[in-house]
Amino acid sequence: EDAAEESNVSAELIALRKRLVDEWNAWRASRKKELAADRNRVSEKEQKADVQDKEEIE
Amino acid sequence: MRPILLQGHERSLTQIKFNSDGDLLFSCSKDNVINVWYSHNGERLGTYEGNNGSVWTVDVDADSEFMVSGAADNTLRLWSVATGKCLYTWEFPTAVKRVAFNDEGTQVVCITEQRMGHQCAIRVFNINREGDGTKQSKEPLYMFNPIGSKATVCAFTLTPNVIITGHESGKVALFNVKSGEEIDNNERAHGDVVTDLQLSKDRTYCITSSKDKSARIHDTKTLLVIKTFTTETPLNSAALAPDRPYVLLGGGQEAMSVTTTSLRQGKFETRFWHKIFEEEVGRVKGHFGPINTIAVHPAGTMYASGGEDGFVRVHHFDDSYFKAKPYGELEILE
Repeated sequence: EDAAEESNVSAELIALRKRLVDEWNAWRASRKKELAADRNRVSEKEQKADVQDKEEIE
Repeated sequence: MRPILLQGHERSLTQIKFNSDGDLLFSCSKDNVINVWYSHNGERLGTYEGNNGSVWTVDVDADSEFMVSGAADNTLRLWSVATGKCLYTWEFPTAVKRVAFNDEGTQVVCITEQRMGHQCAIRVFNINREGDGTKQSKEPLYMFNPIGSKATVCAFTLTPNVIITGHESGKVALFNVKSGEEIDNNERAHGDVVTDLQLSKDRTYCITSSKDKSARIHDTKTLLVIKTFTTETPLNSAALAPDRPYVLLGGGQEAMSVTTTSLRQGKFETRFWHKIFEEEVGRVKGHFGPINTIAVHPAGTMYASGGEDGFVRVHHFDDSYFKAKPYGELEILE
């Protein structure tokens, strides 16, 4: 039964779904990378600010 | 997937929200009351009373310490989640239609209705988390009137001072709350009123629902439409299912606007759609009227729907939901 069902799903449809998933994953990966970069930039800024604060205290 | 029925509201539900741990579910209603429930068993933990009009909207901060609500009595209220006390009340000339916390719980954004000569306004308030929460500043940090169509829904993005909004015209836009400037927009995001907007966990994308019978996933930075889900009924709510590639859609035509009287006509079902393939994968029945609001547990283990019928239904997903791979082995990033 499973085999019969599988054969009903055309190779074309499988290829389309794979393309859709690949496109989604590519978009998610790029956004996650951007997000991580943004966060790093913010934490670097905060660290710098911390260092400056400490220097001022000294 | 036997649902738990939460019976504690006398009129239709307007918004429901899980807290970030997912152990609590907040519900607000046209009966002027906000309730909080234990999500695992549906037991009512408490009630927040004091509003003198329909409560349209509710949000809870990441620590589950403060809750905010907006109501038809023209108030924005800050509540203590644990004690049920109203800590502070802000008053406006018109009703508060939408509220949302930022990630840190340090700011709240709210939309007030356009009515009686007053324009639709968006305000941002600082939330003073020191002490018992009763010392808040009366004046907003920022306030502006969005140009063009009035805003119906809003949320903070990841960028400080930038919010994403949905509008009566179907527009989705980004605003700088400091200057009131519209940074970017998609005028044709929807063809009718945007009824709900919910963000992904990392706030990099969101889903909107509309009376135009569709829901859409947008990139919150570029406003590009990533996915579209087209149904045959006006939608009131759309939610993202964490860890599974699904979106949940709810709506339905009001009984009075349905010409044929078949129950089926109402289609008061929560629809599950595949997030990537834009295909419907299942429906859950139960409500006797349109579904007004849907929320998914932050860990994706259950979902709840609030209806025009006055009920909240909590559905714990069973094993088959997590095991099902309707489209085979495909790795999908969150």
